[in-house]
Amino acid sequence: MAGSVTLEGAGVGLEQMTTAPSAKSALFEEQAMEHIDKLYAHAMRKTGNRVDANDLVQETYLKAFAAFDQFQQGTNIKAWLHRILENTYINQYRKLQNQPYYSPLEDLEDWQLGDAESRTATSSRSAEAEAIDHLPASAVKDALQAIPEDFRAAVYLVDVEGYSYQEVADIMETPTGTVMSRLHRGRKLLREQLADYAREQGIGKGK
Amino acid sequence: MGDCGCDKAKKDLEEYLHNELCSEEAADIRAHMENCVDCSDEHRVGVVLTEAVKRACEETAPEALKLEVLEKLRSMQQHSL
Repeated sequence: MAGSVTLEGAGVGLEQMTTAPSAKSALFEEQAMEHIDKLYAHAMRKTGNRVDANDLVQETYLKAFAAFDQFQQGTNIKAWLHRILENTYINQYRKLQNQPYYSPLEDLEDWQLGDAESRTATSSRSAEAEAIDHLPASAVKDALQAIPEDFRAAVYLVDVEGYSYQEVADIMETPTGTVMSRLHRGRKLLREQLADYAREQGIGKGK
Repeated sequence: MGDCGCDKAKKDLEEYLHNELCSEEAADIRAHMENCVDCSDEHRVGVVLTEAVKRACEETAPEALKLEVLEKLRSMQQHSL
């Protein structure tokens, strides 16, 4: 242990890197780098492919480092990073995709989206739960990728990252009510897609 | 079924699932679900859906990405010195 004390948190194991970290970058690396798997998962949900996810994560970290002086120590750095990722994606990738941002589903009333719950009311809900439980991860990934981006982000941040509605509202810079609506609609669409998939594949029908 | 608490329970199930209800409201839902197969099955679907999404979203950042990020950070700070 002796000798490791001064290196604590300063990116131990990275001695082979050309430049020694300054105090600021050492602190940033210590606090931010441990979240890279989560940021990468977030970026994969945003972009849908590894190449763009790589770029998005890199840009997120570089931006975060550049703005690190504005980060309030003691607040949640992981949430701060997710927020920068959301922002970066909106500012750059959407622009690159050359599509003005418009989520047509956002304008629809819930009844127009169809009601997943009533659709399954006639069949058994326990069968539906059983079916969802047995779906391959790839099917769930595809379904996630097929729902509108903002819905997917809300579902990802709440269901996977476990953020509260308020925290997601801060990350996505929207009112809490919007988060709840995106989450609700996202989950509803997801559920419908998975039910369709299970039906097609004959999953969860019993034997 | 408007008179047995299902309407209210169904409306609140998603918030219950995400721990967004106060303890009193959450207790009401739990009590309702103990006597209502319909609502507890609906809740079960919600739980399973969340689990499925969690499983599908597990990712590990490639080692190369981590190194690249670190390298860029280091060169960035060098330029700012």
